Amino acid sequence: MTDIPLAHVLILSSLLFTIGFVGVVVRKNTLFMLMSLEVMLNAVGVAFIGAGSVWQEADGQIMFMLILTLAAAEVAVGLALLIRMQRRYRTLDIDVLSKMKG
Amino acid sequence: MSTSPEITNSVILSTEMFIALSPILLLSFGIVLSLLLIAWRRSQKMIALFTQFILVITLLLTIHLLSGDILVGSGTQITTLLNVDRFSYLSFVLICISAFVVVSLSRSVLKSEVEVHDEYYLLILLVVLGAGILVVSDHFASLFLGFEVLSISLVGLVGYFREHEHAVETGFKYLILSATASSFMLLGIAFIYSQTGNLSFAVSSNVMPWSAQPLQIFNSVGILLLFSGIAFKLSLAPFHFWSPDIYQGSPTPITLLMATVSKVAMFTVLIKCCFSQNYFNNESFIEIITVVALLSMLVGNILALKQQNIKRLMAYSSIAHFGYLLIVLTVSSLQNTEFAWQGALFYLSAYLLANIAIFTVLLISEKHRDNMSGDRDIHIVDWHGMFWKNRLSAVLVIFSVLALAGIPLTMGFVGKFYLLNQAVIFKSWWLISGLVIGSGIGLAYYLPLIFALFKDEKTLENQVVDGSGVYLVTTGKQLFMFTLLISSLLFGIFPDLVSQFIYR
Repeated sequence: MTDIPLAHVLILSSLLFTIGFVGVVVRKNTLFMLMSLEVMLNAVGVAFIGAGSVWQEADGQIMFMLILTLAAAEVAVGLALLIRMQRRYRTLDIDVLSKMKG
Repeated sequence: MSTSPEITNSVILSTEMFIALSPILLLSFGIVLSLLLIAWRRSQKMIALFTQFILVITLLLTIHLLSGDILVGSGTQITTLLNVDRFSYLSFVLICISAFVVVSLSRSVLKSEVEVHDEYYLLILLVVLGAGILVVSDHFASLFLGFEVLSISLVGLVGYFREHEHAVETGFKYLILSATASSFMLLGIAFIYSQTGNLSFAVSSNVMPWSAQPLQIFNSVGILLLFSGIAFKLSLAPFHFWSPDIYQGSPTPITLLMATVSKVAMFTVLIKCCFSQNYFNNESFIEIITVVALLSMLVGNILALKQQNIKRLMAYSSIAHFGYLLIVLTVSSLQNTEFAWQGALFYLSAYLLANIAIFTVLLISEKHRDNMSGDRDIHIVDWHGMFWKNRLSAVLVIFSVLALAGIPLTMGFVGKFYLLNQAVIFKSWWLISGLVIGSGIGLAYYLPLIFALFKDEKTLENQVVDGSGVYLVTTGKQLFMFTLLISSLLFGIFPDLVSQFIYR
């Protein structure tokens, strides 16, 4: 088994994170924004597991489990808001949510 | 649990730790009890009283611990995750007080709706629990857990009145932005962990186990990402765009909760993290702090100038105040951290008192306005002539606004004095000039707010309904406002009362 350098893992996770972040910023559909958030969180998970394997510790994997829990909780709240939005505006387009200005 | 020798050697939770942690444990137990209470009987009055009871007991227990000698020195380490020290419990006292006020103020808001609002109180308790975990955390895992318990329950509260006009918008904005911020923070933690191999706040002495040279760049980027995640929560300048909208769209008690509980907890954990990781030795970190602080002072104060909506105005003013507060992070050595903590806690209590007072009056005038017309947002115009109709709340607003502006004989002045003192010790002339200029600009919107209270109401064109013009304030609220007024006067004239409690 060949070792993967830590730098590669971190670069991969930064790339994934950037993809997720760009998704959150440019997507108009709120469902896809939530999915992009998941991508961001999982990118962080990759970084944690990579770092944990370098240090030969379980800490990285435990943090990943915590992140998974967070992702589930966040999506639960997000989907609840999504349903409210669909009922109210009959659309999932984020542009309807810009009433407050100033 | 089995009593094998390995386990008895390393007791997980000794009695001393248990006592030190008891306020947080009590609060969690209270949350479980209130869940059971909801299952037993759904009554809003009961759950409200029970929530207040839990908060008061927690508050008293914390104060009792503070007056004892269990928290002296560097505090009690509870496993690797938590570290209870004097300063973290002092900010927990501030958190409990503001949460208690929020619960008391919420009753009038919730009364006008039809349902039983059990979840509302439960979520407030969860926010306080998250804040409690944050202030005692000593490890990135507990920082993360506290952060998430706090923000996810806050998302629920922000969009709580789901039939209201802005509820979905506010909730969704807050959810997306706070989730993004927390993933930034997590990525930062992951980067720091990958370089140091240590998730606890204490400085690690671990050595890289592999031959490749440490990638210093990832460590710096990690610290930067971590700071930006926390700065988002504190709505510091480049990350402040959410805060006026969320302030405006949330129910007023929740806005107060966000302005006080969440920010006090986040700031405490930021100080704890920076001081125990010795970030102040890091030149570039101090530079970043300086830039962010200056930006927040200027942006907050300048954007507040044209605000007419009082909630938005408070949002911008709080951006500026946390910009000032960042000064405490620029300590020159570990010896000065005591003084920095003292200044920070004093400033936070001044900020808290003023915010509680202004939001109380805001809630009263919102209720007054609801009786007359449907529009919920209170603008400065609505406060015109308040001094002639309701002396007590007008005087309270005057004192709190003066405290926010930092006029002598108020707590805000003494707080600013602490910060200025520290900036002078650190010889950071940029921060000093920022503080002075920012406070100068601040006067340009704080003073008109005071003048508005004396203005004649009849000059307004939109005031059609006269409705006898007298504010309906219950005796309880009047008593509460009177207490606020007395305490802001007392602590303003005798600031020693507070600083002695902090210092001891």
